Amino acid sequence: MEDVIRQRERRTGWALTIPALLMLALVFVYPIVRAFWQSFFTQNLGTQLQSEFSGFANLARMAQDGRFWQSLGNSAVFTVFSVLLEFILGLGIALVLNQTFKGRGIVRTIAILPWALPTALIALAWTWIFNDQYGVVNDILLRLGIIQTGINWLGNPTLAMVSVIVADVWKTTPFISILLLAGLQSIPSDLYEAQAIDGATPWQSFQQITLPLLLPQIVIALLFRFAQAFGIFDLIAVMTGGGPGGATETVSLYIYATIMRYLDFGYGAALVTVTFLLLVLIVAIASYFLNRSRATSGGV
Amino acid sequence: MEILELIRRNLTQLWRRSRWFRSLSLVTAFTLGALLIVLPVRSQPVVLTFLMNAPEVPPFRPIIREFEQKNPGIRINMVEGPNASNLIEDLNTSSFLLGGSPYDLINMDVTWVPKFAAAGWLKDLTGLISQEELSQFLPGDINGSRYQDKLYRLPWRTDAAVLYYRTDLLDRAGLKPPETFADLMQTSKTLQDKKAVQWGYVWQGRQYEGISAMFVEVLQGNGGFWVDPQTKQVGLDQLKAIAALKFLQSTIQQNVSPGGVVNYMEDDARRLFQSGNTAFMRNWPYAWKLLNADDSPVKGKVGIKTMIHAPGLSSASCLGGWGWGIASTSQHPQEAWKAVQFFTSLETQKKLILGTGYLPSRRALYDDRDLLAKYDFFPLVLKALETPALRPPIAQYAQASDILQRYLSAALSGRINAEDAMQSAAKETRTLLGA
Amino acid sequence: MTTVSPEDIDRDALKRSGDSIVKRLILPISAALTVIFCLAPILWQLLTSFKVDADIAAIPNVYIPSRYTLDHYRALFERRPFFNYILNSAIVSIASTILALGLGAPAAYALARLKLQGERILLATILLVTLFPPILLFLGLLEVIRYLQLGNNYLALIIPYTAINLPLTILVMRSFFQQLPKDLEDAARVDGYNTGRMLLEIVLPITIPALVTTGILTFISAWNEFIFALTFITREDMKTVPVAGAQLGGASPFEVPYGPIAAATVLGTIPLVLLVLFFQRRIVQGLTAGAVKG
Repeated sequence: MEDVIRQRERRTGWALTIPALLMLALVFVYPIVRAFWQSFFTQNLGTQLQSEFSGFANLARMAQDGRFWQSLGNSAVFTVFSVLLEFILGLGIALVLNQTFKGRGIVRTIAILPWALPTALIALAWTWIFNDQYGVVNDILLRLGIIQTGINWLGNPTLAMVSVIVADVWKTTPFISILLLAGLQSIPSDLYEAQAIDGATPWQSFQQITLPLLLPQIVIALLFRFAQAFGIFDLIAVMTGGGPGGATETVSLYIYATIMRYLDFGYGAALVTVTFLLLVLIVAIASYFLNRSRATSGGV
Repeated sequence: MEILELIRRNLTQLWRRSRWFRSLSLVTAFTLGALLIVLPVRSQPVVLTFLMNAPEVPPFRPIIREFEQKNPGIRINMVEGPNASNLIEDLNTSSFLLGGSPYDLINMDVTWVPKFAAAGWLKDLTGLISQEELSQFLPGDINGSRYQDKLYRLPWRTDAAVLYYRTDLLDRAGLKPPETFADLMQTSKTLQDKKAVQWGYVWQGRQYEGISAMFVEVLQGNGGFWVDPQTKQVGLDQLKAIAALKFLQSTIQQNVSPGGVVNYMEDDARRLFQSGNTAFMRNWPYAWKLLNADDSPVKGKVGIKTMIHAPGLSSASCLGGWGWGIASTSQHPQEAWKAVQFFTSLETQKKLILGTGYLPSRRALYDDRDLLAKYDFFPLVLKALETPALRPPIAQYAQASDILQRYLSAALSGRINAEDAMQSAAKETRTLLGA
Repeated sequence: MTTVSPEDIDRDALKRSGDSIVKRLILPISAALTVIFCLAPILWQLLTSFKVDADIAAIPNVYIPSRYTLDHYRALFERRPFFNYILNSAIVSIASTILALGLGAPAAYALARLKLQGERILLATILLVTLFPPILLFLGLLEVIRYLQLGNNYLALIIPYTAINLPLTILVMRSFFQQLPKDLEDAARVDGYNTGRMLLEIVLPITIPALVTTGILTFISAWNEFIFALTFITREDMKTVPVAGAQLGGASPFEVPYGPIAAATVLGTIPLVLLVLFFQRRIVQGLTAGAVKG
């Protein structure tokens, strides 16, 4: 009797789950599996877009491909700097929003606004802000007397990277502040009161209570942001297109160019495969640390 | 129901008895049937769709109106696309990759031809046009429209890079416009030493398609080659190619060109030259109109000639330009061909050029009086067009060009030396071409 | 106990004054800085969209224009089918939101309440999938869409958007179902409801607030998506707002229509600004539940 109910429940469970799983399989699993398979074939304009088995030729080519390594480096630089800055700023904003003050509701609403807006359109706004002739950044710097002539922000390799990082920090800092704010609110306030009675300074209680208890949220926020920043496409495609001279070309942009501009599907598949494996590896390492931090914070 | 039955019976009787009724009803049925077939065709003309670069949309509007008046059964749906040509290329590419492109005609840059043809997206036009008709176009343009001996594009405007020079400065110094690389360096230095001008030579050194277009001229003018389209041989690491790059490096090292040239595109070079600070410039003919505008400091002081080259070799001028292809997926290839013929015809080109100042793709228009009256530099450009430098017509051109751009840019900005740059570029290109 | 050392008093006073400095000065300043940081770029674009061309390209910049114009907005509707873009974005976003909820909520319920084999692996996979950048799916999806002949069809966007938002929907809804007291369902079972009827008549009504929360997140993400919309739709009148906006520009600096671009930015973001204004709290809830409790 018990078994029959169990069985029926299980069947219903699968019936409810399978449509969603099929959808995920179609959009996530098939493309990745397909890319694995396709990466062993050469399929490009040289083969009249026909698929020809070529073993590890694509992987060998990738090892020699300076552009791939450059784009990987650009992705790494972009990810590290933008996530780091977003974390510092996001934590600061979260601490502010966690205080009680007049108009906090409005400030909170405004503080999540950038996250909700379309990246491609926001990138247009930032392109305009960093324009070398009429951009407001140059105008302010000129008025303050910091520079004498306008800076070509998006035309210089280093400055272009700085510009896209600034735009990304603006766009996604709210995401981190929201997650951290939720974490802050779950910290019981009597912990702080106890610390205050012991005569701890705000900085001490931040170090001793806030940071350790916030650690799980911090790790999760960083993990999510890492994955998103590593796969950045729209912001850079609109602001610089990967230029000048590939200085802001990330892996996503290179893959897109390989597939859409060069019609080099086999090699594109190999790029997808390697990027995927790299991501999985990094996520695996990160979740290992996440589990450890959860274990330790649970012990406190 | 009874009424219907009554009518049916009466009609059957009529059909049997009256011959007149029989023939009348047959005629009526036939006419109605014919109308049913003809009417939709008449009320729904064939629609040809294509994507157009935003700046070309206004000049094309009257041309399309005229075509539709002459061809009542064909409507043209010109879709305004983005400004940048690479975005147009991407949109056309996506359309074909998704299967069933909504576009019948494709306005193509010369560098897209091999890629689109190799991918099987274009209709072969070879049989549609006679040799005689074809010979009226500029030969370089037609060559650029071919892929593996088949014609895929009919050009409606061409482009060829030229050397601009300051006639006033050269006259005053009693110098002749340079023919060779060494001439240019020598003349520049003489003028710079005399403080007649700050810079000698400006060109396009930024990492983008323009640097490939510029380099192919220096390369060919120095007797080198990039990729042989037939044998897929790569010539970038040969001594002549390395020397070509070294010449460009020397213009910067010897202060003939400003260091910023490695970041210049066409209009950056044009602005510097127009400000009067430079003796020579490599650019496209579009600059002529702007240089001779009323507010230009160099108005009337500019000459055009063919590109510089190594002694004993002939000059080479990079060929650009746009033409029409027909999508292999088009439902209306005949009507599309009609439109292509109209858009590339002598009369249409003349009208377009009078308004825009583009270069015609038909040889005859370079002798046209009305055009010469407005654009007196046409004969000079025609000379440059006689010795075109084609960017290699290989299917993987976009990728090959990106490889070259990266290494040229790296070498020009001093990150690696010329030999290493060209050897790496050659190696990557060989991998790409599978040679 | 009665003797208070002077040092103690001092420290208390210091602490209090330190507190009040934080409360009175630093807090308002940092709140103001947050507001400026978040709003300034948007306001600058808003201002640009109303400036006349001469003021847009003025050096030095014009901060308080004397003339305002609606020309750039008019240009969007006259030269481009901007109304279509908005309609397309709306259709695609709403359809994929409904689909994601329709597929995701039942799955979330099953994962929360019904014991499935391999549940942990399923959850881990779903969590991992949220970390995939869309570019990795792009090549395979291109093939699927060509095979199903879905190019230039809303489904080419609705299907990927639904799938991309499914993991978040499942995670958020699952944590919601876990919080739900089980008594209600047990009572329904005692009353003889079968699972389907119980879900529809008992569980669904109390789930609506959570559905709204996740629905908003899905809607935002679908409205903002770029790379699939850029590639799977090439017909001008089928494009979504982000892609159409981005393609207004992209040429040499002198030909970029800055005014219309600014106007497009403003029009394309208005629906989202409204969403944030009305549902700020729900968005925060959804994000935190999705990320933290997964």
